[in-house]
Amino acid sequence: MEYKNPGEETPMTPLRQQLLDMIVEPDAYDHPAGELLPLQLAAARELVAQRLDQISVLRRRADDTGVHEIRTLDDLVPLLFAHSVYKSYPATFVENCRWDRLLQWLQTLSVDKVTEVDMGGVEDVDQWIERLGAAGHRILATSGTSGKCSFLNATEGDYRLKVRHFGNSLGWPVMKPNRDRAVFALFPRSGPNSGIEAGRIGAEVWGRPDSAHFLTAEPLRIKDVSAQAALRKRMAEGSATPGEVAAFQSQNAERAERAQAGMARLIDKILEHRREPIVLTGLWAQHLAILERARTLGVPDGDFNPQSVVSAGGGVKNVALPEDYKERVAQFYAGVQRGGAYGMTEQAQIMPVCPARRYHCPPGLIMLILDGPGERLLNPPGNLGGIVEGRFAFLDLLYDGRWGGLISGDRVTADFGERCPCGRPGPTILDTIARYAQVGEEDHIGCAGTIDSYVSGALAS
Amino acid sequence: MNARMEQRPVPLCHVVKGVTITGADLEFGGAGARFTTPSLHLDDLVWLRTQPGPAFDVPLAEILDILVATGQWLTADPKGWVAEALEFTVRSSPLPRDVLETSYAGLGRMFSDRAGMEFQVDQELGGAASVDGWREVVTPAGRRVGVRAFPPRLVHIIAGNAPGVAAQTVIRGALTKGVHLIKIPSNDLFTATAILRALSAVAPGHPLARSFSAVYWRGGDAQVEARLFRAQYFDKLVAWGGESTIRTAQKYVGPGFELVSFDPKTSISLIGREIFASEDTLADAAERAAVDATAMNQQACVSSRVQFIEGSVEEIDRFCALLQVRLGVARPGCSACGNPLPADMRSAIEGLRGLEPYARVWGGYEGRGVVIRSEEPVDFHPDGRVVNVVPVDDLRSALRYVTVATQTVGVYPAPRKTGLRDALASAGVQRIVELGRAMQIVAGLPHDGFLPLSRFVRWLNDE
Repeated sequence: MEYKNPGEETPMTPLRQQLLDMIVEPDAYDHPAGELLPLQLAAARELVAQRLDQISVLRRRADDTGVHEIRTLDDLVPLLFAHSVYKSYPATFVENCRWDRLLQWLQTLSVDKVTEVDMGGVEDVDQWIERLGAAGHRILATSGTSGKCSFLNATEGDYRLKVRHFGNSLGWPVMKPNRDRAVFALFPRSGPNSGIEAGRIGAEVWGRPDSAHFLTAEPLRIKDVSAQAALRKRMAEGSATPGEVAAFQSQNAERAERAQAGMARLIDKILEHRREPIVLTGLWAQHLAILERARTLGVPDGDFNPQSVVSAGGGVKNVALPEDYKERVAQFYAGVQRGGAYGMTEQAQIMPVCPARRYHCPPGLIMLILDGPGERLLNPPGNLGGIVEGRFAFLDLLYDGRWGGLISGDRVTADFGERCPCGRPGPTILDTIARYAQVGEEDHIGCAGTIDSYVSGALAS
Repeated sequence: MNARMEQRPVPLCHVVKGVTITGADLEFGGAGARFTTPSLHLDDLVWLRTQPGPAFDVPLAEILDILVATGQWLTADPKGWVAEALEFTVRSSPLPRDVLETSYAGLGRMFSDRAGMEFQVDQELGGAASVDGWREVVTPAGRRVGVRAFPPRLVHIIAGNAPGVAAQTVIRGALTKGVHLIKIPSNDLFTATAILRALSAVAPGHPLARSFSAVYWRGGDAQVEARLFRAQYFDKLVAWGGESTIRTAQKYVGPGFELVSFDPKTSISLIGREIFASEDTLADAAERAAVDATAMNQQACVSSRVQFIEGSVEEIDRFCALLQVRLGVARPGCSACGNPLPADMRSAIEGLRGLEPYARVWGGYEGRGVVIRSEEPVDFHPDGRVVNVVPVDDLRSALRYVTVATQTVGVYPAPRKTGLRDALASAGVQRIVELGRAMQIVAGLPHDGFLPLSRFVRWLNDE
């Protein structure tokens, strides 16, 4: 593999550039599938040809599957990564501070050369991420329920294009962000996490200078997440002492208390600003907390400025929410613009929601609907046909730092009809996105299992 | 739409107190794995305590006669029910046909093995006298008292990853003479009912046949479980495997209703440097390691997943290459090629491929077997014919990776067991075998650290 140095520009292939640049046009989301598909396919062909020589995991995948050239959308399917590839490094690399080995691993999934980044004196994974950032590699980390983080590399250019994409997709199709209002993002101000990054980009594109409010200035630290995973592992092995577990829990409790205090202050500030147009982004449970505080203060439903944009999201796994949480939140914010977009950490080009509550696909995102196992493409020929239910996958043409092809864990219903009920062309994703539980397999019972079942949920913070 | 999705739902029958119930009242399962069942009548699924269970006073010898006859019936399959169950199972089980065929062919032998079943009663309950009546015991003070392994009332949530589990459940249940409600698992929908139909065929209306029911409900369905899982109807819940099963079980256990749990387990191998003495010993060890790893296509708790080995990296790499070839060999209980690896497992392995010298990988993702040599055990659970080989200086260094979830440890060469077994046991291991013998399970020996029959029964005194 020939790795290029960060910042060293390789010109984007013209078709890819053309598709990505469409986002700045007013009709970005108005192109019919028949017009886009041939361009997308050609851009994917060019991109794959380039990336095969740059990303060793992709190269091996191509060699294993015999797919070296993209002629149809079906050819992309064997080349898509499962999200788990981005957490396929051994966790001991982090536990034992083997930053060189972690770089070696990251290199196999990166376009730019990362193995020469100086890691001298690095003591934890956050510093590892910072060093990479300083050298032009923007790492996003996610944490799964296991606590093991994925690390996804992107370039500075990728980030700039992502900001541009957000600037042209947030508020769509009703409003366009123009830095004129207060922004409330119920996340930490900084940290290598996609939710935080999205909050920051939102503040940048919507916010008046100096009027962005975050949950806390305390950065989200990945080492806390990793520490939890490491402790959990040692508990499983039986080497963690009860005292260690107790200390960890009280540390978590303190942090939660600080976060709660910050949240209470921020909620009051949000409610003070409710009569002016604002942008408010948070998780479902956080919106319920705002609602509850409003009740106490006697703030009625529908009291926010109709020019405000409020979006709610985030996973609802392991969060106790009332069954009608969506309805309650909708009622509380009645009258405002309920923005929203579908996206995930692995995806730069989010899909904004239309007034018909459907998610629309930007020109630079190739949407692939797969069967349950993620092996077969269900898109109708020419991306024109009926309703298809399946696993959401995509090739995000934006990334220069890594391969943008991914199979998600989401079960979606996609409408490949010519037009969305909102009048714009399809395809669209319906507002019925769910996780891929292994339907019908919920009571498959076997005698084989791991020590993970033996660690009681003592580490929930 | 693929061929599987076009298939009609598979009809599942129930057996309730020896009577076969048919009907397609309810439908379950996702696309490609749909099946129908008769509706459930909860009143029929309990044996009220106002009356003794039907077989409480049937002599063990008579029960053994019926079990042996059931075994012969299962082998002969005069009505074709076993063949039918096998065909349906092939359509709905994650296991391949050849593995299922071998398992089904062995079902009859489990029941016909009278000596084996007597061994179980002797080892686990102290002989027929404890089951058939009140065995006399003389206390240190010279008092004569009676002790009986009294027939229990059990509800079983069984594992479906091997058809033998259903057979073992019926045999253990019959030997205790109790009443038994078996909850059919969705990954083995037909074996338990096929066995119970055979039992009713050889002994129609017999108290033993009337002591068993096997029905399906969706695991965790509170409409069913909250009503049945009560001390008023059952003494114990015998639950296999998965975290979700145990979590559900915990909701209901309490005074008078206890849990007997066959916990989820994993198994490993410890391979000494002696294997490198000659090409023959190396080949022998690789073959044995493969046999243990591929048991039930690595779906069983006894299947070896991580193999710790002494030797230089060069030596160990030779072992890995040989092992990978041997993983792709058909054997009883394992096909030459399993299912292709799921995307998650594949991705986890792809990430390790670029990490030489830390890790090295042999084999592809088609299902014939993958061997990953890594400096430490991998973070994921090797499954689907994936073996993680971890070099160690001394087999004792593997002890730090042993936990209470580690069931079977295969050791090579066998004499090394003696020096390791106490330390392994102390760390949590339940079973130590010579490498290559993990699948040779002997009923009547302890299982997961306890004697199942002894846990099943209620131990009562007449003083």
